[in-house]
Amino acid sequence: MIRLILQVLAAAAGTMGFSLLFGVPARYYPYCGLIGGVGWLVYLCLLPAASAAVSTFCATVIVILLSRWFAVRKRCPATLFLISGIFPLVPGAGVYWAAYYTVSNQLPMALETGYGAVKAAVAIVLGIVFVFEMPEKWFHRKR
Amino acid sequence: MEHSRHDREVLLAALEAGKLLLENGAEIFRVEDTIYRICRHFGLTSASAFVLSNGIFLTSGDEEEKEAHFARVLLIPVNGANLGRVAEVNQLSRQIENGEYTLEQVRHELKRIEHMPEFPAKLQIASAGFSGACFSYLFGGGWQDALCTIGIGILLYLYLLKFGKPHFSKIVCNILGSAWVTFLSILSHRIFPGTHLESMLVGGIIIMVPGVAFTNAIRDMADGDYISGSVRMLDAILVFFCIAMGVGFMMAIYSKIISGALL
Repeated sequence: MIRLILQVLAAAAGTMGFSLLFGVPARYYPYCGLIGGVGWLVYLCLLPAASAAVSTFCATVIVILLSRWFAVRKRCPATLFLISGIFPLVPGAGVYWAAYYTVSNQLPMALETGYGAVKAAVAIVLGIVFVFEMPEKWFHRKR
Repeated sequence: MEHSRHDREVLLAALEAGKLLLENGAEIFRVEDTIYRICRHFGLTSASAFVLSNGIFLTSGDEEEKEAHFARVLLIPVNGANLGRVAEVNQLSRQIENGEYTLEQVRHELKRIEHMPEFPAKLQIASAGFSGACFSYLFGGGWQDALCTIGIGILLYLYLLKFGKPHFSKIVCNILGSAWVTFLSILSHRIFPGTHLESMLVGGIIIMVPGVAFTNAIRDMADGDYISGSVRMLDAILVFFCIAMGVGFMMAIYSKIISGALL
């Protein structure tokens, strides 16, 4: 439980660090952090029940819903929030393991981990595409 | 004559706004939209823009010669994104539509945004170390891994700013960068036995992950801008492959040394 809270905090802090690297103005950091943290929380909560790809998809959907919601409220492009918010979900570990197994000549394992990374990437793609298809006015009405 | 000069100024301002958006990581749709908004607000209806991921083609002029004939092609090299500028130009285009700016002020404001200072290099480097540490903790590391990754992230970003980006092509820069991260992670793993190689490494390489290119590629394709979407996706995939290659290369050398030492 403590590890879960710490992980969510780390996700939020890491997301804010990335926002700085991408030149996001400082006044948006709290929202970037919130989005990154919530995305990771959703991912962690779903992971015991669903596959990594499904969890990534759901977390991406939440991240982008929040990004669009803040984008409308703060009157700025959603890109500002979602690029850094999506970073915790990027399959970095998958890339590492795929490279590791390829080099150590364990091709079946390399394929498995590489395929897992591709699945996670596709889940992110689908999440982004579906949420951006939603009409703009859905996000206005809540205000 | 006076009229045609006004049109020309409007187009140049719109082009400048489009350039700022494109080179700082905005989607194609936003670039085209902003150019049209600015042109329309200042009464130029014949403008026509074609935007690719690294260039803007902008023309104006109609049959009856009511508006000036004008054409510009602007090549825009792809480099690092600065989303702050995207936000500023977006804000500016909103205010233009509300009629808060004259043409002269718009050009002045665009100049200001172009020269807006980035965050100081030291802060960026520190932030890279900090977020690297956070991410190594996310990917299953303990606090020892996080501490090591602060150093790895700082050294990686130093390399990227001082050697990688100014001197090498993107491919070489990323292969060397991920090899550097792998080297540093192996080194810290050997020095501090309690650490996990995997989480330090992942925390380090996540700093190089092409998040902007990847996200924009998807959004461009969803908007129907397939050419730019594919180019940006290719860019992202290339960087991913380079990272994997750098890691693999270093790991191969490491395992050779290990097995050599054991023999």
